[in-house]
Amino acid sequence: MVVMRSTRRGFMAGTLAGAGALALPRLARAQAERRGGTLVVAADGEPRNLNPALIASNGVFYVASKVIEPLAEMVYGGDGLAPRLATAWEGSADGRSVRLTLREGVTWHDGRPFSSADVAWTAMNAWKPLQNLGRIVFRDLEAVDTPDARTAILRFSRPVPFQLVRNALPALSAVLPRHLYEGTDPNANPANARLVGTGPFRFAEHRPGEFYRLERNPAYWEANRPFLDAIVYRVMPDRGAIAAALEANQIQLAAFSAVPLADLERIGKVPGVKVIPEGYEGITYQLTVEINHRRRELADPRVRRAIAHAIDRDFVVDTIFLGYAKASNGPIPKFDAQFHVADLPGTPFDVRRANALLDEAGFPRGANGTRFALRLLPAPWFEQTRQFGDYLRQALRAVGIDAQVVNNDSAAHTRAVYTTHEFDLAVGSPVYRNDPAISTTILFQGGLPAGVPFSNQYGYDNPAMNAVIDRAAGAVDAAGRTAAYRAFQRIAAEDVPLVNVAEFTFITVARDSVRNVANNPRWATSHWADTWLAE
Amino acid sequence: MRDVLAVLRTPEGAIGSGVLILMVAAALLAPVLAPGDPLAIVGRPLRLPLADPRFPLGTDRLGRDVLTGLLHGARSTLGTGAAVMAAALLLGGAVGTIAGYLGGAADEVLMRIADAVQTVPGFVLALAIVSVAGPTQPAILLALTAGAWTGPARVVRAEVMALRSRPFVDASRLLGRHPLAIAFGGVLPNALGPLLALAPIVVAGAMLSEAALTFLGLGDPNVATWGAMIAEGRAVLRTAPHVIVAPGLAVAVAVLAVSLLGEGMQRAAARRT
Amino acid sequence: MRTVRLIARRLAAAVPTVLLVVLGTWILLEAAPGDAADAYLAQAGGGDAAFVADLRARFGLDLSGPDRFAIFALRLAAGDLGTSVVFSRPVAAVIAERIPITLALMVAAVTFAAVLGTLGGLLAGARPGSLGDRLLSTAALALLAIPSFWLGLLLIRWFAVQLGWLPVGGIRTIGGAGGVLDTARHLILPTLALGTGYVALYLRTLRAGMVDAWRADHVRAARARGLSERAVVWGAVARPAFLPVVVLLGQQAGTLFGGSVVVETVFAVPGMGRLAYEAVAGRDLALLIGVVLAGTVVVIAANLLVDLVMVRLDPRIGAGDA
Repeated sequence: MVVMRSTRRGFMAGTLAGAGALALPRLARAQAERRGGTLVVAADGEPRNLNPALIASNGVFYVASKVIEPLAEMVYGGDGLAPRLATAWEGSADGRSVRLTLREGVTWHDGRPFSSADVAWTAMNAWKPLQNLGRIVFRDLEAVDTPDARTAILRFSRPVPFQLVRNALPALSAVLPRHLYEGTDPNANPANARLVGTGPFRFAEHRPGEFYRLERNPAYWEANRPFLDAIVYRVMPDRGAIAAALEANQIQLAAFSAVPLADLERIGKVPGVKVIPEGYEGITYQLTVEINHRRRELADPRVRRAIAHAIDRDFVVDTIFLGYAKASNGPIPKFDAQFHVADLPGTPFDVRRANALLDEAGFPRGANGTRFALRLLPAPWFEQTRQFGDYLRQALRAVGIDAQVVNNDSAAHTRAVYTTHEFDLAVGSPVYRNDPAISTTILFQGGLPAGVPFSNQYGYDNPAMNAVIDRAAGAVDAAGRTAAYRAFQRIAAEDVPLVNVAEFTFITVARDSVRNVANNPRWATSHWADTWLAE
Repeated sequence: MRDVLAVLRTPEGAIGSGVLILMVAAALLAPVLAPGDPLAIVGRPLRLPLADPRFPLGTDRLGRDVLTGLLHGARSTLGTGAAVMAAALLLGGAVGTIAGYLGGAADEVLMRIADAVQTVPGFVLALAIVSVAGPTQPAILLALTAGAWTGPARVVRAEVMALRSRPFVDASRLLGRHPLAIAFGGVLPNALGPLLALAPIVVAGAMLSEAALTFLGLGDPNVATWGAMIAEGRAVLRTAPHVIVAPGLAVAVAVLAVSLLGEGMQRAAARRT
Repeated sequence: MRTVRLIARRLAAAVPTVLLVVLGTWILLEAAPGDAADAYLAQAGGGDAAFVADLRARFGLDLSGPDRFAIFALRLAAGDLGTSVVFSRPVAAVIAERIPITLALMVAAVTFAAVLGTLGGLLAGARPGSLGDRLLSTAALALLAIPSFWLGLLLIRWFAVQLGWLPVGGIRTIGGAGGVLDTARHLILPTLALGTGYVALYLRTLRAGMVDAWRADHVRAARARGLSERAVVWGAVARPAFLPVVVLLGQQAGTLFGGSVVVETVFAVPGMGRLAYEAVAGRDLALLIGVVLAGTVVVIAANLLVDLVMVRLDPRIGAGDA
């Protein structure tokens, strides 16, 4: 049952060497799923608001997805979606409605029955007006009809592509209990900290700075699930300690690359520990260089192109990501075959070409070999965004650009890049969420107000780009929509409004005893009802 | 000069100053000994020490030379120690002299401020200041000086208050000199001994705090620092311990050298009296 | 009576200190780039302009700076520390949860340091200038030079990972029986990391006091009376040398509190130090002021306690000085 679809030779060799001959009898015995046990996993942060219907972010989902369920979840193969609270979904031809058929016999953790009224209330009062991503996708949601307790019909004021709604279901459609939220301020509801949902686990306890504890929901709608008695998220801000705790079997699993990449080769050889690079394809992160077009030099596409040519993507993938990433050529990752264009004109590593472009743009090297100086703000989100900042500084020096690194914490970084625009280059890591319209086109669309994090605050505003984004947003037929997004990628490749450097997903490290790990493309942020612990 | 020789004649003073001179020389000569950008990626990541003659102390997680980082990091740590010492002694000396000589309301106000600063845990204060001002060298200097000036201020104030009633001060006063001129020109020089005795303590504290701040990621990212090297290395503590052992020892040796020098100063002073 | 007056005077003196601390912290965080809404958005993964405006209104960030300070100061005067933006809970409740952990760590570190430091100090101070004294004094200097966070990392590597004797972090075994012993086990390594430097400090302070005492008249008199060497060391030399050590306990309370910031980070101990770090990162003004105030109160209380002990130990210290 252990899913390990690795293609990395080094990793496989390490695993085999470590597991050795003991692995065979252990695997053979492990066929029967075992009920019981407490799974202790590492959490490197503590979201202050755990409500996934209000805050669609992976930090929230990591804990909340076990308690509050979405309408559907991503799966490998098939049409990519598995039913959760909805059992069927169907869009109308005119793009103005989506009909959802809901699951029978589901109850909330407090015993009340789940019905279409919960879906209708959450859609109109949480997803559309309050949720960070839902505000974009469900902007034109007008009403939700509930002809019976098992049916909810989303009605839109303008045609909305069914493809988009469908792709948004896993991340954006967590359903809240209406009876606890109606008539309150959803943002201030105590249930945001003590979640009540329909999921396989119930929220039991949060000790700030120490742990979250979830307990098995004995009344879960899927018979004989979940297997685990409890999941404990142990808060461990120090990443070095996470690897140590895994080795000492004080925790059994660390997701989201909580074990530093540099430690994977070693820890993969520790008996009883496995390294799993799958299970994150549906939440692919993109390493980008964000460019402030308000700077005179950076307004010139030749300069932006030169910066893109100065970056050795293979080096970034091999050294910073230690091979756990792919070089990227555009705004849509390779995993999304539906939209990805493979033959975009790229900007391969070419220092000579970069220098020529900069000369041509009219920025010759000065007496000290420098053309101009820039402020470079690496985002504090990941070890790799900081490290890439260090690398970029060096890479830009080779083409005569003097970049001064400015490290900010997350509040100051968000303010500097997305509100006050006090940056020249920034290193970002946006998430690609299964559809370009959810969190990707917002990075390219012009005319957005200042102050919106992870949106185009770069001063880039190209009418042709805006037009193609609009066209896709209104394209009800899948083929037309796909064509529009292909055009979108070509314009992005032409203009280089930002530089896509690499796409990366995360690594899970787990004890061998944890089974059914990484069996869907959003595994870490899915419900873990089928995860179990071998003895 | 005699004082310096006396310090060097103590074993602590001799060892401390010897090590310190070596470290200062390494720091000053770093651009010559290890030219180029100390943060540049120059080799394969995580080479072990002695494995490659080009990298005698190995390389870190990204392939930066550990020895180069050590040499350039000495500039940051030793430089911060020296600068904080100078700033704290100057500021503390000035505040202490004014408070001690003028007394009254000025003394009251200045000492209440010193009370407040001393009551706030120093490292928490530094953490807050650097987070607010942004991680740059001047911000670190400011943050560490903000917590370090109160000790010198109190020592000088006590000395000045004791000296205030001496005959030579009365004489100056009768000559009609400005009170501050008397305080700084006449009284302060006599209080310098106890002030200088505090210097090694201030330097050692500042160096340890600089290492801790840069360890927490609050250092200037364009500069090589020992704290940042340790922070970077802790992810690979098991795989490549050399990445954190080298800079950690460097911090300890530098602080120890300064403390030994301070010990030597004390012994020399004790012998004289 | 003397004691009561001492306490009253100390508390009166603490009022301007506390006011200055509150004002200073407020101004400092107000000057920071980015506010609580920025910190929240960064964590939440973005939102549109109206969402951002909502958030600022919800956090009360749409008022002017002086207005917010006035509201905060009035509430503080009434004994209300306000609500933490990061935890969406009253600041007082958050602090009440964390402060016992930091106090436990501080007390453990001080106890460890005082016991070991006193032993070493007595050994060194019994024969100043001897080889043993030189070795102990220099070793103490070396301990004082080791960065606590670095020591912590090495301790984790050896005792938690390599040998597996002790937990790598946290303060209790999750899913275990818990209890005081369990927490104590978790605090062993943090205590060593935090306390080692203070061992050296106490050793050196006690030794220095004893060196001074050897020269004092009453010691010479005691020797002249022909008392045994041991009686002289214990009775006449060591006892007065303890006074500066006790003073030091109070003086170091602030440093100890600050030192626990770094050590708590390394060992994932959910105490005040880490809370301060989280408050700054989340631009949580009310919480940071609460943490700084709590630290201030701890320092004032520690000094008061030391003063009271001193009054007992040495009758000459009394109501006169301040």
